[in-house]
Amino acid sequence: MKPAAPLLMLLPALVLVPLAFLLPPLVHGGGWELIGSFALAAVTPSLDPVVLASLLGGLGVTAGMALLGWAGSLVLGLLLGAASSRTVWRTLTGSALPAELIRRLLALPRAIHELIWGLLLLQLVGLQPAVAVLAIALPFGALVARVLSDLLDALPTANLEALRAAGAPAPVALLTALGPALLPGVLSYGGYRLECALRSATLLGVFGLGGLGTDLKLTLQSLEFHELWSGLWLLLAVMLALEGCISLLRRRWLVPGRFVLARRGVGERSREMLLTLAALVPLCLLVGRGLGVDPAALLHWQPLPGLGGGDWAATAALPWPRLVGGTLLLTVLAASLAVGLAPLLLLVVAPLGWARQGLRLLWALGRLWPPPLSALLLLFVLEPGVITAALALGFHNLGVLGRLLLESTGATDPAAEEALACGGSGPRLALLYGRFSALARPYLAYGAYRADVILRESVVVGLAGATGLGSQLLESLSSFAWDQLLALVAVYALLTLVGEDLSDRARRRWLAAA
Amino acid sequence: MAAGPPTAVLALRGIRVSGRDRPRLEDVDLSLAPGERVALLGASGAGKSTLLAVANGLLAPVAGTVLWEGQAPARSRRGRRRQQARIGTLWQDLRLIEELTVQQNLNAARLARWGWPRALLNLLLPLDTDACAVALRAMDLDPALLEQPVTALSGGQRQRVAMARLLRQEPTLLLADEPLASLDPRLASELLALLLAQAVAPRALLLSLHRPDLLDGFDRAVGLKDGRVLFDGPVARVNAALLADLYGGTPHGPSP
Repeated sequence: MKPAAPLLMLLPALVLVPLAFLLPPLVHGGGWELIGSFALAAVTPSLDPVVLASLLGGLGVTAGMALLGWAGSLVLGLLLGAASSRTVWRTLTGSALPAELIRRLLALPRAIHELIWGLLLLQLVGLQPAVAVLAIALPFGALVARVLSDLLDALPTANLEALRAAGAPAPVALLTALGPALLPGVLSYGGYRLECALRSATLLGVFGLGGLGTDLKLTLQSLEFHELWSGLWLLLAVMLALEGCISLLRRRWLVPGRFVLARRGVGERSREMLLTLAALVPLCLLVGRGLGVDPAALLHWQPLPGLGGGDWAATAALPWPRLVGGTLLLTVLAASLAVGLAPLLLLVVAPLGWARQGLRLLWALGRLWPPPLSALLLLFVLEPGVITAALALGFHNLGVLGRLLLESTGATDPAAEEALACGGSGPRLALLYGRFSALARPYLAYGAYRADVILRESVVVGLAGATGLGSQLLESLSSFAWDQLLALVAVYALLTLVGEDLSDRARRRWLAAA
Repeated sequence: MAAGPPTAVLALRGIRVSGRDRPRLEDVDLSLAPGERVALLGASGAGKSTLLAVANGLLAPVAGTVLWEGQAPARSRRGRRRQQARIGTLWQDLRLIEELTVQQNLNAARLARWGWPRALLNLLLPLDTDACAVALRAMDLDPALLEQPVTALSGGQRQRVAMARLLRQEPTLLLADEPLASLDPRLASELLALLLAQAVAPRALLLSLHRPDLLDGFDRAVGLKDGRVLFDGPVARVNAALLADLYGGTPHGPSP
């Protein structure tokens, strides 16, 4: 009894069954009115010019931080990616050993979420725009490096060997043989990273690092829902415009999407790609000036409390099993919700064209809406805890997964679905059998990757209380307990690395069976 | 040609289709009585596929009426689906679901009649094994294939599975759009014989053909040219002159 592909896709949605029992006891009567006025404010955002001007200013700062952090991560990722590529080291020195070493080292910055980076840097150098930029650039750079070195090492080396045999110096040979083949993959992944950077910059703002996120959190806490929605709609416009631009460029340059079944082509107009990249340099310099980013100020470290006197006994006495268990439970719940609900909702609305548009909008809101803010909103009506946090995190990731699923549903062959509909199957069953069959494995493979991201992200909903490592980390941070903080970050990193390994295995398995 | 006393399985009257991306149809009349086997002839671009798309409800004509078993297209979604369930189409690209087993593919033809519980169960357990085995045997296939994924089948087996799926749907109207186009001649006539054998009253068959030499076994032929019906009559009356006219003089005629 082995479930067939389309059924596998729906299995994670079974998490709704336990949730249906666990959720009602968590509801407290308190804030339904608040939720109601929050929802109503969506259609009556504040149009006050003063409010809008301030929000636009915040949006500018967030977009600027995102752009700079992203650009920094690309530069960092290209350098580190080359440095952790086996092919590169083998060509330059004859041994791939340094690549393995650097690859292992890079796992650490990757495993730590940008929020933790941001909060640590904030303690270290004080509040300044460069903190958010660096907080994005460091983990993203390590992620880009990993993807890049994987791409590099997967490329066939015949061209490279031919050039080397013809006497070309190693660096020239590497650039000529591998550079052009790498460009489309890098651009595709880079585009996706820019979208992530915008979301991250907003999130960092929620934790006080400036920009629109800060405004959103303040308006939510002071219950100014009309102003909150003005900010959300502005952010939505920018995010959709960015996503639209990136997918337009992807199509124009024929670079592969992040998650498509059929490769339509690999790269065209490479000169245009390079020019666009080059144009980013002056743009980043301008934005940097505008934001007042001062790299020199990063060197003025604030005095650190001595680690030597750390209270390690108290650190060891933290309820570690409960913390780790809570984090894992949160991850599994949020991931199952996100992975399972996207196809389920798509099936539910299948016969209704307008509802599909509504879903698209809901998912866009989920993507841009920072999870800690959803958690705060949920706390109006739910008790704090793992489930509340999982709902917030799940909603955010549902937005990401839903969009991917919708896009790839549009990109796959409609023939089988059409044939089923023509034979009288309803639109839902036709979608399930006709399209989800082909999509299931790549979708689940992406879901495995997403689960890994969710584990890393679980820290951001720490303020929903008692959620495991995340909430403990925020607590230790606010009480300047450096010893605890260090231990928590280490455990988090370890957990993420194990998770990454598991998700890689799952992904390979799903894709191999496809 | 009027339909006999029993209601026509398919009746098209004054069908017009205009469109930039597909061949047009002009004032097409066509009727299929129960048990009738009709071959649709014409050069490529004459409108055969368009006509079949109208006949299976995929394409709504700009003008004219479509009647399935005497009924106009139902307005309610449910009624329409019930109508569609009685129309079976054999697609040129087969449209098997590659990720599923043969049995699951055969049962996919029952989705219109099944509710959600059975549709989901079919993805978990082998359902209706006996009925599926009957459908496979009717197409000269070994029922042992039921558990195989369709990707494991040969080209000829896939063709037969697609035809078995058609039977499993139990349609009254069988439509096929050049199902034999990519097959070698021996296999083509073998499969055509199997298909023709299934088209007995109350069922009717409309099949588009690019090779006029396979006309044996059909009751009637309908020739389309530039979206209009040029010929509609017994197969015996199809001759070289008519074919030359249909195919615009291209060397496509029957081998003597």
